[in-house]
Amino acid sequence: MISEAIHNRSQARKAGPLTDTTKSSPELEQLLTDLKPADADLLAALHRIQEAYDYVPPQAIPILAEKLHTTPAMIYGAITFYSEIRLEPPARTTISWCSGPACRLKGSENIRRALEAVLGIGLEESTSDKAIGLHLVQCDGTCALAPLIRLDGRPIGPLTVSEAIRLARELKEKGG
Amino acid sequence: MSVYQELRQQAEEAWRTVESPSRPRIAVGVTTCSRAVGADETLEAIRQEVSRRGLEADVPVTGCWGLCYAEPMVEIAKPYGSRILYQKVTAKRVPQLIEEALASTNGVCQELALATLSSEPVDGMPPLSSLDFMALQEVRCLMSNCGVIEPENIDHYIARGGYEGLANALGMSDEDVIWQVSEAGLWGRGGAAFPAGRKWDFLREAKGEPKYMVGNADEGDPGSFVNRTLMESDPHSIIEGMIIGAYATGASYGYIYIRHEYPLCVERMDLALRQARERGLLGQNILGSDFSYDMEIVRGAGSYVCGEETGLIASIEDAHGMPKMRPPFPAQAGVFAKPTNVNNVETYANVPLILRHGAAWYASIGTENNKGTKMFSLSGHVQRVGVVEVPFGTPLRRLVYEAGGGPPDGHSLKAIQPGGPLGGILHAKDVDLPLEPEPFREKGALLGSGGLVLFDDSACIIDMCLYFEWFAEDESCGRCSTCRGGTQRMVDILRRIADGGGRPSDIGLLRLLADTMRYSNCAHGQAAPTAVMNSIEAFLDEYQEHIERKRCPAKVCRGLIRYEIVGKSYNLPEAAAICPTAAIVQQDDDYTIDQSLCIKCGACRELAPAAVQVLDAFG
Repeated sequence: MISEAIHNRSQARKAGPLTDTTKSSPELEQLLTDLKPADADLLAALHRIQEAYDYVPPQAIPILAEKLHTTPAMIYGAITFYSEIRLEPPARTTISWCSGPACRLKGSENIRRALEAVLGIGLEESTSDKAIGLHLVQCDGTCALAPLIRLDGRPIGPLTVSEAIRLARELKEKGG
Repeated sequence: MSVYQELRQQAEEAWRTVESPSRPRIAVGVTTCSRAVGADETLEAIRQEVSRRGLEADVPVTGCWGLCYAEPMVEIAKPYGSRILYQKVTAKRVPQLIEEALASTNGVCQELALATLSSEPVDGMPPLSSLDFMALQEVRCLMSNCGVIEPENIDHYIARGGYEGLANALGMSDEDVIWQVSEAGLWGRGGAAFPAGRKWDFLREAKGEPKYMVGNADEGDPGSFVNRTLMESDPHSIIEGMIIGAYATGASYGYIYIRHEYPLCVERMDLALRQARERGLLGQNILGSDFSYDMEIVRGAGSYVCGEETGLIASIEDAHGMPKMRPPFPAQAGVFAKPTNVNNVETYANVPLILRHGAAWYASIGTENNKGTKMFSLSGHVQRVGVVEVPFGTPLRRLVYEAGGGPPDGHSLKAIQPGGPLGGILHAKDVDLPLEPEPFREKGALLGSGGLVLFDDSACIIDMCLYFEWFAEDESCGRCSTCRGGTQRMVDILRRIADGGGRPSDIGLLRLLADTMRYSNCAHGQAAPTAVMNSIEAFLDEYQEHIERKRCPAKVCRGLIRYEIVGKSYNLPEAAAICPTAAIVQQDDDYTIDQSLCIKCGACRELAPAAVQVLDAFG
């Protein structure tokens, strides 16, 4: 089940992270041309940027502030308020750990402790080589699979602690 | 013929191909819960198998019947034949299913068959309505289309009476529509139970333009998935309800706020909006009337307090979703400081039914004080995870034991958590309460938005309270120090109790904190201590056991347990190898656990259950 899950995960990789700040701004502007103030556009814009780059590059903040007639501080406040919007590129592989009650009742805390021990990182952290990241997610009601984790979005469950350990070890060996 | 009648006629033609198919119809339920167990792969495998065999068959996508435990589900209907529901059809089982079910007119794949959709048994197969899970659900109103129709086909919704309520409403005055909703006794399903008709009347009378209609689908309560089921399986029922609401209140624009965790809901609702627009059900001059209204989807980004109506409004307004002070109430100053009405999407989904069948019909369902039906999701320690719809007043016991099948074999029910992490905890002895807000409120709990999480005797109440408080702390917006600091202190205290450092004064401290947190601005802070307060009443002995005897009776709290190797087993080498911290030390033939390294994850016990035991850390 574990090897299959690792094999099956989505191989599609998003556009690489933006590194050149001078070159990227026109690209971002392009993505945000239709934004208007007082039109419920911020969340849609953040999703659009994150879909394109896998994270929200900080240079998007002043552009958003200008388009939406607000301050960079307000935009930064909103970005950091929402747990699914990232200001840094994610790791190559993300293990999302479900924090919901059905999973908790069925031993998700044990799974979390084991994953953290094998990977040497805590929740919302990535291994130093950016290969694997651990991310906390909220319940989406697929509780028939509890306890579950998601590997790059794909749910795996019901998962035992030993399966979780094998999965983390195999991923670590593969470098994500 | 009216504009609506024309739409209806056209839709009925499309529906006829479902009711009496001219060739086999193999419908796969694709929703979040079925996708999690491989419904996409099942759908693909069926399409391939059908083309490989050169069969003439339709393979459409349907929604969810609510039987999450039986997913992926497939319905096979044959011309002049039976309509049979199959359960747990993973991609691997597809060739067998197709082979046996489509071999002949009467062919059935007995191994995977769950029920027939006919009212009479077919080949010894029970009708769906006779399954234990469905037995309580003679009246499915909100869910009458769930699993039945193709959610991505507006014709199916219309053919089954959809948008008739809207057509009726457009023939009435705004006041009459609100009167109908009030007379039916509809109240808000999001948790606060405020009468919907009165709320709408506030907006109708409010001054200012434009007015907004907002649908709250930020179903953030962990363990609740009723809104998700509705949006994925019958999206138009929500849209129709919102259009009727807009007509009754004079709103000209609307937003449906859907949480980030529900991407399929966003997809289906978005498609439904586009289809409604194409049919003239949204936009200018709806159904040929002089009423115009349109709406769009706002997708959340991971925040629980955005489900609080003023937090949701802030989130729509290009800001972080911090709940606002009231007054002003949304009806005076909501989205962009304009008059606004916010209801849960399940509330809206009731409205078309009221306008179609009449307030008197609606008010005949339920109890004296609580009219209509409510959807509930069952999860946790329960045999059948799923979504049910029952009239108000149905005993909780019947939902737990008949629909859910009770806790897993060998375990008994310990507690029930209704209404999300802020809804509190009920002791198993309260399982006879009727499902209505008042009796729950008397017990200091909330019926809430429909999540029911069951705990059996393997659950530790302190551990679950620690989870609920951690959740409340993590999701606090930080505005009020009572909530921000109160939840932090509660987590500190519960954590030290779970770690073996509990003090006899801690119970008093928790009570004091709860009394203070009541003064928070919004329901988040006010209700955050509910589970702790309920459980101090109902499970005081368990708190005392943790605090005074440093013992966790369920052996969950990791500061109060230790793993020990107490016997021999051939599996011990494997258990030693799986240990993530190499805490299992081998000396000759003996294995011991180095307690300073053990993180108490329990992996060794999974592999060598006969040799590894969980003991009290102090005792």
